[in-house]
Amino acid sequence: MQRFANERVIVQMVLLIVAVALYASTFQQSFSASDVAQSPMFFPRIILTLWIGLAIIALIQTLRVQQTQTPIASWARIGVVIVAALIYTNVIGAEGFFLPSVIFALICLPAFGIRNPFMIVLFAVLVPGALVFLFNHTLGMPLPTSRFTYLF
Amino acid sequence: MLSALPEAIGILLSVEGILVLVLGTVLGIILGAMPGIGSTVAVAIVLPFTLTMGQAPAILLLLAVYAGSVYGGSISAILINTPGTPQSAATCLDGYPMAQRGEAGIALGWATVASVVGGLVSAIVLIFAAPQLAAFALQFGPIETFALILLGMTCIVSVSTGSVVKGLMAGMIGIFLSTVGGDPILGEMRFTFGNWQLFAGFNLLAVVIGVFALSEVFIRASAPISRVSDLVAFNGIVLPSWQMWKGRLRNLTKSVAIGNVIGVLPGTGAATAAFISYAEGRRSSPNRDGFGKGEPDGIVSSEAANNAVTGGALVPTMALGIPGDAITAVMLATLTLHGITPGPKLVEDNPTLIASIFAGFFIINLLLLPLGMMLSRVAAPILRVREAFMMTAIVILCAVGIYFVRGNPFDLLIMGGAGFVGFLLRRQGVPMAPLVIGMVLGPTLELTLRQGLILTDGNFLAFFTDHPIAMVLAIAALLALSLPLWRGLLTRRAA
Repeated sequence: MQRFANERVIVQMVLLIVAVALYASTFQQSFSASDVAQSPMFFPRIILTLWIGLAIIALIQTLRVQQTQTPIASWARIGVVIVAALIYTNVIGAEGFFLPSVIFALICLPAFGIRNPFMIVLFAVLVPGALVFLFNHTLGMPLPTSRFTYLF
Repeated sequence: MLSALPEAIGILLSVEGILVLVLGTVLGIILGAMPGIGSTVAVAIVLPFTLTMGQAPAILLLLAVYAGSVYGGSISAILINTPGTPQSAATCLDGYPMAQRGEAGIALGWATVASVVGGLVSAIVLIFAAPQLAAFALQFGPIETFALILLGMTCIVSVSTGSVVKGLMAGMIGIFLSTVGGDPILGEMRFTFGNWQLFAGFNLLAVVIGVFALSEVFIRASAPISRVSDLVAFNGIVLPSWQMWKGRLRNLTKSVAIGNVIGVLPGTGAATAAFISYAEGRRSSPNRDGFGKGEPDGIVSSEAANNAVTGGALVPTMALGIPGDAITAVMLATLTLHGITPGPKLVEDNPTLIASIFAGFFIINLLLLPLGMMLSRVAAPILRVREAFMMTAIVILCAVGIYFVRGNPFDLLIMGGAGFVGFLLRRQGVPMAPLVIGMVLGPTLELTLRQGLILTDGNFLAFFTDHPIAMVLAIAALLALSLPLWRGLLTRRAA
């Protein structure tokens, strides 16, 4: 069972399903070009066909050869870092650069094993603060500001 | 191009030009020395900041970071036995044993001189070879360009470390991503699924930074926390005297030649060149018995070759618009972002830009000597910075950089998504360089294919039967594609 339901197989399956779904979607749109070669979907279909073929070969290879996967050292750490980074990149536009950056650093540094609270706070405030000062107030290339103040 | 030289020198000697060359080299050396960052991530981090610059300073900054980072990798390789960049891995073999014997200064001296010589010769090769190649490629129409891009695409096989199938698949994903948005001939929207933010397609830079820099942070977060390495005693670089070079110049010359030749071949890269050169040095050097135990010839072989690759790799990039590896793909992306179309016409249409790039690249390699000597002392303590601070800073810097490309928060989402997908794919052994190469070359591949089909009334075979240059290029592409597969098959059979 482990052979068919591991991370490698799941990712390969997802890649294959995505390619097939995208290929199917090329038939659901209509375009003005009458010539097949000049259809906007002509080139993407070639590429998606190759993608599907390669994904099938890769999936078969994955199923046939049992490869050892690099284990995740700490699921908690990688989970926290990925979620924090994804939320961080999502909220900068709405909440400004400084506050999300400080919060991101406050979450990320302990996750990476920094335990000194002084160093954590210092880095979390100093690095984004220096960047805000540099870009907003020195170079005149403003980073997104928060809803609370135009200063950062 | 020669007529544009005075104007190019004017650009290089301006305050901005000097600042870009010096700061870029400094930044490159420091980022290259930091284990785990590497040349590609270093260039990707700096790239968004070039968008406010002119065309020449922007490219020069990236070149300086590139050349500086390749050299900087040797600092950590020698001082803490951890290559800052993969290209410096071979340097560890002899550099660290020398450092352990208390000869860190002279080991870095050998590395510095070899890097400078390798870089300077490669700059000369670039200056002479690129215009010739570009002049020949000017005869190319859409069909020849299509065949040329096909040949360029074969470098995906070379950069696919681990699995060729997965590398090719990554290449296809990259090409597919380049088709999202407006069709290049009819302008109709494809794969946008009603999202107007995708009308202009995926922001190449956001994808590049996501799959290289952000995914690297995630990879690091998934690995055990690394301990800060012990630093050997180091009191600055000591340059080897002329006397010490006696009997080693042949090895240096050979290593520089290997680096240049490998650099010109698409997809082989500096790490391959360094190891091939190291193996050749070990075979032919009069001091071969000492290899692996702290032999200066080992350092010279590796460092001269990896820096010689930098100029060589720029030859197909500048002359033909074909990136040899991920870093040169990023360079091409920068040219595109600055409104320059990469390809054979680049040299003819932008003589001042090309002259300043070539002359600037030569100066950058000269700067490696004084800056390397000054910075090695500063870089040594930086090697002790905890990974946590570096990784957090990388994410924050990437966010700043991407925001400045278009001021569009949607690009940050793309970067985050690309980082996550890149992390998942890299864990499965799917290389990311082919994805970027596919994304860079994809639009030209599609456009020339469709233009060619118009010219031949839809007859694809006529691409090769009526166009001898295209046929030669296609055969070369087939050979380039099948040779590694054939070699792999033979190795598997032998095993």
